[in-house]
Amino acid sequence: MTLLRRVPRRLIQLACFVGALVLVWPVLPLAVAPRFFQEVSPFVSLSSSIAARSIDLGAILALVVAMVSSLKKRWFCLYLCPTGFLLENTNHIGMRRTRWWAKLPPVGRYVTIITIAGAIFGYPLLLWMDPLCIFSSPFAINKATNPFSVALVCLGLGVLVGATFVFGMAWCVRICPLSGFQDMLFATRKALWMKLTGSRADLVKISGTADSLRVKAPALKFSVARRVFFAGVGGAALGLLARRAGAARYRNSDTLLRPPGAVPEDRFAGLCIRCNNCVHACPTKIIHPDTGREAGLAGFGAPVVKFDRDYKYCLETCNACTDVCPTGALTALPLAQKNKYIIGEALVDNNVCLTALGKKECDACEHACPYDAVKITWDESSYNAYPVVNDKCVGCGACEVVCPTMPGKAIRVWTQKPA
Amino acid sequence: MRRSIAAGGLFAAGSLAPISALAGQVGGQASPTQTAGQGEHETGSHTPATIAGDKVVQPRREVPVLHKTSVLVVGGGPAGTAAAFCAKRMGVDVTLVERYGYLGGLATGGLVLGIFPLYDRSNKQVIYGIGEEFMKKLDVMKYGIIDRWKAPTYPTIDAEAFKFLLADMVLDSGITAYLDCWGVDAILDGKGAVRGAIFESKSGRQAILADIVIDCSGDGDIYAAAGASFEKVKTNIGLISRIGNIDEVDMAPGRGSEDPEHKAQIAKPSEGRPSKGRVNDFNGHAGNSTPAPHVNWLNMRGPVGDALDVADLTDLELKHRRGTWSNVEKLREKQGNEQVYLTETAPQLGVRLSRLLDGCKKLTNQEIRSGAKFKDVIGYSGAYANAPEFQIPYGSLVPAKVENVLAAGRCISAEFEVADITRLIPVCWVTGQAAGLAAAMCIQNNCKPRNVNVAKLQELLHQQGAYLG
Repeated sequence: MTLLRRVPRRLIQLACFVGALVLVWPVLPLAVAPRFFQEVSPFVSLSSSIAARSIDLGAILALVVAMVSSLKKRWFCLYLCPTGFLLENTNHIGMRRTRWWAKLPPVGRYVTIITIAGAIFGYPLLLWMDPLCIFSSPFAINKATNPFSVALVCLGLGVLVGATFVFGMAWCVRICPLSGFQDMLFATRKALWMKLTGSRADLVKISGTADSLRVKAPALKFSVARRVFFAGVGGAALGLLARRAGAARYRNSDTLLRPPGAVPEDRFAGLCIRCNNCVHACPTKIIHPDTGREAGLAGFGAPVVKFDRDYKYCLETCNACTDVCPTGALTALPLAQKNKYIIGEALVDNNVCLTALGKKECDACEHACPYDAVKITWDESSYNAYPVVNDKCVGCGACEVVCPTMPGKAIRVWTQKPA
Repeated sequence: MRRSIAAGGLFAAGSLAPISALAGQVGGQASPTQTAGQGEHETGSHTPATIAGDKVVQPRREVPVLHKTSVLVVGGGPAGTAAAFCAKRMGVDVTLVERYGYLGGLATGGLVLGIFPLYDRSNKQVIYGIGEEFMKKLDVMKYGIIDRWKAPTYPTIDAEAFKFLLADMVLDSGITAYLDCWGVDAILDGKGAVRGAIFESKSGRQAILADIVIDCSGDGDIYAAAGASFEKVKTNIGLISRIGNIDEVDMAPGRGSEDPEHKAQIAKPSEGRPSKGRVNDFNGHAGNSTPAPHVNWLNMRGPVGDALDVADLTDLELKHRRGTWSNVEKLREKQGNEQVYLTETAPQLGVRLSRLLDGCKKLTNQEIRSGAKFKDVIGYSGAYANAPEFQIPYGSLVPAKVENVLAAGRCISAEFEVADITRLIPVCWVTGQAAGLAAAMCIQNNCKPRNVNVAKLQELLHQQGAYLG
């Protein structure tokens, strides 16, 4: 710590910022690097581990960060957080450099409590507010294929930078769930320490000089505890509601397709933190952030698969998206398993199929299918041939993208329905 | 007068030498335009088959030589006609033999009117050469061809226009042609090299002697008879038909989607989610437009059959015609289609693939998908489904072992998945043109097909307007 103090804080921040860029813009040969970046956040790791009922390697990093944060208040924000660095510098040139936000309640803590309570029921409600996810999201811009996707991947960080420029550091200090989570860790550690040592020191000790980030947190009072309780119950209830809504959404949708490895739809929109790692990882650019058309407000910004580009489908040689998900919203699947994951099901519209209408010598779908799932089948009774899709279909979209019919493809991937 | 010599007679050895000797004698009567005298009485064959025990045997006999030529092209379909014209242009003596009474094969008699695949992934045409010449000639004929230069929509030709065009070109070309004449066997010399082919026609069993034979029979009948190794494949066999009084257009991008006049006639996608595994009758939007107004060609995939089994072929010829008629009846039940009638069913079955040569180079699926480049490239196939445009090597036309024979058309040396693309009409033009030029080079340079100077061949192809990348 003394060593850290000697080195100018800005320099460490800058180093961490550059490190973050290296990780999320995978210049490293390690394709899964972006995932470890978000898993450093204890807020993400804890909530997603609870929600997905599983722990992985990244959680260990998060544990270290959490332990240090409980000893040194907002250590992560001050030194490591690249979003913090960006916003602090924005604030320096911003319009409102006063500390007006000190009056605001500690929203970040309630966000954390709501989210963790939701996570216990499988739906971490506000996990997408994590600053590391917001930071990495715009880096998927090189895989954005339309203006909507560009807007969506840049939205989070854009809003934060804009708001900080106009309103000052309110996000970092009061709203950010990661800083709220650190505050709670610190306060809990203090309270425990007090109980064990009988020390009567203030619950929160302010260290250092008046820096925009170093502020006195309100002491934990009974009314606060009550608010915490309500936030917890509310988070749990909202989480359960959101799961029901998600399941219903999937039942009623015909076109909602999630990337391979996606957990069932009732939990997906909650577990997904909109980091856009999967969008970034996809070599064929078929994963897009949802504008809300497919899965409504709850699914806003979460990845959906769309086969809207020429000859681009979910490759049988690729499982990149499943490898980079920091929360397990996309389960990490080895290639063989990924090739069995059902994204959707291909269905044939014989009203426009060139073969079924005797228009063309066309068996493009049969040729294209990497899984031998489409066969042009001769039907003796109607004396005609039709593409027939068998159980091997995983909905990779290879048939849809080669189907030459206009307007509208004769073979398309639809949301899978139980038989 | 037919000359027949009993087995064990003068030419018992059956080798090339005596047949060549005979060829000199009968060469004069070999004109296809010669007309027989009126009321001439002849006796029948002196060598009918006889029953010997429980077997039917035919005695060894001499086969009269109908004609002697430098390049013999067996099969007058897209590949055969392309090969014959291109070889003839090199100034060599060419003979073209066709089993049906017209030229054009599946492109005319098979009613495969769509000229497909012609374009690469970016909708640039990659097949030129003789095929482009044919299409240019059709361009100036009324009702000859539609949808030229409308990529990705493929041109569609008229069968009768193309039959006329090929007949016209053959008559003016100086090619010796025999129609209604089936290539049934190969003639080999003592070293096993091909020296011509045996044909059956109304004139009986006759031989045509040649220095180089191009097997454009589609089924590889000649190279198979000569002992070249091949892979036998079975796939769907259909029967295309034409239906009249119907206005229905292409649904591929281009023509149908842009033309407001046609928009109303395009089949509409179903509302919402299609049900799984549904089969249905034609919904009134059957077939695809042809140059002839209000006439569509109606493709049929058909069941899998053995194209080398006469029982399968007969079965399909009969069933397909029955099925087509009943489908047209069903089509008439749809609103707006009450006046639709069956113009014709194709004279020839739509055999897709039968024999695939084992050539010097077997073109593999992996190669075409990875965009393999060949030093001996002789042309391109257009992009098809998720396979991009690909190069066709000269080695695919040359049998691995047997000499003096080249393959072109659907029976070249390629894996099944590749042959399923190279079998299509414009690609047959490409392989036919290359085989024709290579055969002419063999004659002029007195070499074997496998020793042809590929650089020179590519230069000639280039001169004839072929696209080699």
